Amino acid sequence: MSSDLPIIAYLTGIVVISLFVNMGISLYGVFAKPSLIKKLIALTILSDTANVFAILVGYRRWPPGSVVRPPVLTELPPTPEKIARFASTAVDPLPQALVLTAIVIGLAVIIFLAVVIMQIYRTYGTTDVRIISKLRGERR
Amino acid sequence: MKYERALIAAAIIVFILVLSYAVALGAMGAALPPPDLRELAKNYLKLTINPWMRNLTVMSPEAVTAIVWDFRGLDTFFETAVLYLAIIGTVAIYRGVYTSRKTVAEDEEKGGMSPIAKSVTKITLPMVLAVAIAIALHGHLTPGGGFQGGSTAAVILLLVLVVFSLHFSMHKGITKGSMLALRSTGLLGIAVTSVLVLILGLLVGCQAFIFQNQPKAYAPAGLPATLDGMLISGTLILFNIFECLAVAAGLTLTFILVLTHEEEIRSAMKGDKHE
Repeated sequence: MSSDLPIIAYLTGIVVISLFVNMGISLYGVFAKPSLIKKLIALTILSDTANVFAILVGYRRWPPGSVVRPPVLTELPPTPEKIARFASTAVDPLPQALVLTAIVIGLAVIIFLAVVIMQIYRTYGTTDVRIISKLRGERR
Repeated sequence: MKYERALIAAAIIVFILVLSYAVALGAMGAALPPPDLRELAKNYLKLTINPWMRNLTVMSPEAVTAIVWDFRGLDTFFETAVLYLAIIGTVAIYRGVYTSRKTVAEDEEKGGMSPIAKSVTKITLPMVLAVAIAIALHGHLTPGGGFQGGSTAAVILLLVLVVFSLHFSMHKGITKGSMLALRSTGLLGIAVTSVLVLILGLLVGCQAFIFQNQPKAYAPAGLPATLDGMLISGTLILFNIFECLAVAAGLTLTFILVLTHEEEIRSAMKGDKHE
C-alpha cells in the first residue's frame, strides 16, 4: 500500500486490518455461538463490516491539499466546468449505491430471520442449536 | 466441544491473515482507497446531470439515486422484490394470527405508556413526518431517497404502535390489512413507473425501453426532467414516492406482527379459532 505519506498508509492499514478482524470475530460468533439470537447479532455485524469495507474501497485517496466531495452536484445549474470539477473531486458513487442495496436486503433478511427465531422459540422453548438439532419433531 | 471451538478460532485467524496479506499484496488495487476513480465511476459522475449529453444523462444531481433508479434500475427492482418477499414470508409465518379488536373503546386511552410519553410523541410526530417526506421527495437532489424516507416514516408508525399500544393503533386504522394494501399500492406504483415510458413510447409509436427515464438515442420518448422550472428528474421522483410508501407500510406491517400479543400467537399455534 504505497502512499504519499507513510502515516496515511499506516492508518489505512490499521483500518483495513481492524475491519478484517471485525469480520473474523463476527464469523466466530456465527460458527461457534450456540444461541440463534447471538448468531443473528454476529451476522448483522458481519454485513455492516462488509458494507464499511465496500465504502472504503470506493473512496478517493486524500493526499494533503486534495478535495474529496460526496457524489452530489450541489452547484446548480450545471456548467461543463462544474461537471468536470465534480467528476475530479467526488468519490465513487457505485459502491454507495450497492451498499444501499445491501443494507435493504440485509434488513429484509434480518427481519425474516428474527421472526423465524421467535417462532422457533415459541415451538421448542429454546434457541440453542445443540438442543434443537437433537429434537426429532417433538415439542419441549 | 473445546476442541471444535479452538479449530474454528484457528481457521478464522488464518482467514484474517490471508485477507490482510492479499490486500497488502495488492488484491484491491495498489493503494486502498484508490488515488483515482475507475472510468465507470467517472462516467457516472459526468453523466448524472449533463444537459449537453441529453441522450445519456439522468438529469439528477445525486449520482447515487441516479445509479439506484436509472443506471442500474433493474438491480434495485429485484432488490425491492427481495425485501417484499421477506415481508411476505413473515406474514406467512404469522398466518392465522388475528390481532383482536375485542377491547372496548373507552379503555383504549389507558393502554400504552405514560401521558408524558404520549404528549412528547404527539409533538414529535409531525416533525418526523415532515423529515420523512422531505427525505423521500428530495431523493433526486440530496442524499436520501425512497427507502430512507420510508424507514423514517416507519419510525413514526412504530412510535405510535409502542407508545399508544397496539389496540389503539388498530382502532385508528393501522392494521395488518391496511398496511398490506398500502404496501401493495406502493409496489404497483413502482411496477407501473418502471414501464411508464415503454407505454408512452408504444402510444406515440416510437421505440422505448423498460426502466427508461430520459430520451435516449433511437428512443425519443421520455419523461420531462423539469416540471414548471423544478427539477424532478423524470421517473426518479415517482420511484422515490412509491418506494417510500411501500417501505413505510411494509416495515410497519412487520412491526405489527412482531408486537402481536403472545397469547394470541400461542392460541393460533394450538389451532384455536379466532374471529
